[in-house]
Amino acid sequence: MQEEYKKGILDRLADKFVYALGSFISLFKKGWKEKNKSKMEEWRLMLYALNRSPPALIGLVLVIGFIFLGIFGPHLAPWKYNYFPSLENWTVQYPAPPGTSVYLPYSHKTITYPLGSDNYGRDLLSMLLHGARTSFVISIIVIFLGVPLGIILGLIAGYHGGKIDELIMRITDMFLAFPALILAIALSAVLPQRLQMFVQSHVVLEKLTLLLFALDRREVGNLGNLLSVIFAMIIVWWPAYARITRGSTLTEKEKLYIEAARAIGLSSRTIMFKHILPNIIGPILVYITLDFGGVILMEAGLSFLGLGATPPIADWGRIVYDGIQYFPRAWWLIFYPGLLVMLVALGWNLLGDGFRDILDPKTRRSIEFKVKKSEEAESNV
Amino acid sequence: MANLKKFLVRRLLTFIPTLIGVTLIVFVIAYVIPANPAKAWAGGEKASEEAVKQIIAEYHLDQPWYDQYWFLISGLATNSIIDPRTSNPVMGDISERFPVTFQLAIIAFVFILLLGLPLGLVSALKRNTWVDTIVRIFALIGVSTPIFWLGYLLLYIFFVKYRITDLAGVPPSPPTQIFHVPIIDSLLTGHFTIFKQHFARFWLPGFTLGFAGMGVLARFVRNSFLEAISGDYIEFLKAKGVPKLKVYRHALKNALVPIVTVLGLQFGSLLGGTPITETVFSLPGMGSYAIDAIRNLDFPAIIAITFIYAIIFVTTNLIVDILYAVIDPRVRY
Repeated sequence: MQEEYKKGILDRLADKFVYALGSFISLFKKGWKEKNKSKMEEWRLMLYALNRSPPALIGLVLVIGFIFLGIFGPHLAPWKYNYFPSLENWTVQYPAPPGTSVYLPYSHKTITYPLGSDNYGRDLLSMLLHGARTSFVISIIVIFLGVPLGIILGLIAGYHGGKIDELIMRITDMFLAFPALILAIALSAVLPQRLQMFVQSHVVLEKLTLLLFALDRREVGNLGNLLSVIFAMIIVWWPAYARITRGSTLTEKEKLYIEAARAIGLSSRTIMFKHILPNIIGPILVYITLDFGGVILMEAGLSFLGLGATPPIADWGRIVYDGIQYFPRAWWLIFYPGLLVMLVALGWNLLGDGFRDILDPKTRRSIEFKVKKSEEAESNV
Repeated sequence: MANLKKFLVRRLLTFIPTLIGVTLIVFVIAYVIPANPAKAWAGGEKASEEAVKQIIAEYHLDQPWYDQYWFLISGLATNSIIDPRTSNPVMGDISERFPVTFQLAIIAFVFILLLGLPLGLVSALKRNTWVDTIVRIFALIGVSTPIFWLGYLLLYIFFVKYRITDLAGVPPSPPTQIFHVPIIDSLLTGHFTIFKQHFARFWLPGFTLGFAGMGVLARFVRNSFLEAISGDYIEFLKAKGVPKLKVYRHALKNALVPIVTVLGLQFGSLLGGTPITETVFSLPGMGSYAIDAIRNLDFPAIIAITFIYAIIFVTTNLIVDILYAVIDPRVRY
């Protein structure tokens, strides 16, 4: 049967996107677009494959939504995370259910709670929007520091072998000997005070953290707890990547092109990062995508246990932790934050699952054939 | 067989450096503990100086690191570290809570097996149909659902709305103990009322804890079964005219090898999930004990629990490796 590939709107968008990306890079590197035609073609086919997988698209939408809220959430929130209406009007029984309106006599305002309030009368919707930033920033930092650390160590261990390999892998094994959440709990329990002292003695770091998490200056005393969770999760996250990277480096370094690179005298650093890494990064990218969901889940779990973000800092897991004493009456304090965590984690997992198919060259070749055919047909007309 | 013995010896030898590594990491965790816990243990700001000094001496807090390391590790091994909060030996407190956590993990594990295996087989047999898609989505939802959220959702349904589960305390243990896991002991010794009580208390937490693992196992069973069934020997069996069910049995046997590994890993991640599950369902296990300890700055308890969890985790990995080698004679590195 002759199958024709019909381009949808998304495919045409993908064409434009890849073209624009190529032109953009060419602004900085002259002639990049002409040199990397095949690479751009590959990207285009990847996007086509993505467009044909509804679960991956749902995942993409959820993830883009999360990133959007992570960046703009605190600015979209109608109320500040540390604004306590219960200080102005204590006649209401907090936590107030969804849809309640409360008049605030001092500021002459009425606050309406679309998703309910917490026990201090804070608007849950605003807290969730602020909390999106917290978990977004934490997941970005953990992935962007923990994963490269693991990859670099894995590359070094796999490429050099011998004693270095033995040393690095024994250390990795030590960390992998703990259930991840248990190690993270222990670390984030003992670290806060030291990190607090460290942050407060480095003004730049302190300002940067406040800026990243969109916090008020008066939250300075709570940064230690927040950073301890980040630190703990980085420690927990790198060993798995060291092991994966080492494994694929071991098989990759035996290949002929690496032999050739070594023969012409390239430095081992160049070989590791410019030649081996690009060839093994595909599967690792899938893991990274899946792990964004993992980090967000673990962060929510830790703050549900009372570790990490301390009130009034808004954090999805922490809202649940503070809300359980009102369970089951104040169900909204548990339901909505948990639902958000689940949707975000699901988004990353769907996307990662989709990436696995997309990065498979077989999927791309099957599309390539059909696309070529339909494009030829189009150009003939 | 000599080969297997050699493998076992080698595997046991690598077990020792890992254990030493575990103690080292546990020590580093203990070492970065905030400057002066002694004051907090002696009773906060109002503590007398003598009491603080006595505690510092008792816990070797003023000694060099190697001395502290030795004190900690030998103390954990001989159960001589006294918990500053409860004034009991730390390991004694933990050994009371261990059966709860272990029982929870076992029940979750049974749920994973009972639901994950059949789901995986069904989706392999009905490959690329809507059944397969549903199992795939179920697996993805499973790994994306926060345990605490699922826990409260189920609590709302089964406790608040319909009261089909117990939520208070822990039922008594049967008089004769064999494995020190009440639910198994009571079943073996014939105390069915106790078994029923334990089941009523533990089935919901167990299901919650195992929820993520079911989907993972199902997907894994599906993939390894499909891989096994595409082997040449299956074609041969079919050509020979062996009935379908028998062919499946052959395939299943070969698919079992990777499944055992995944089950072992699942048990490890179940252990990691116990603190959250125990907190949600207020089960007095090791995990919730650790969380209480953190709230009270009770660091010896945190360290001891981290240590115990790591020991269990490493031991399960060891058992899985050995099982793997026993099941599949081809695996002998």
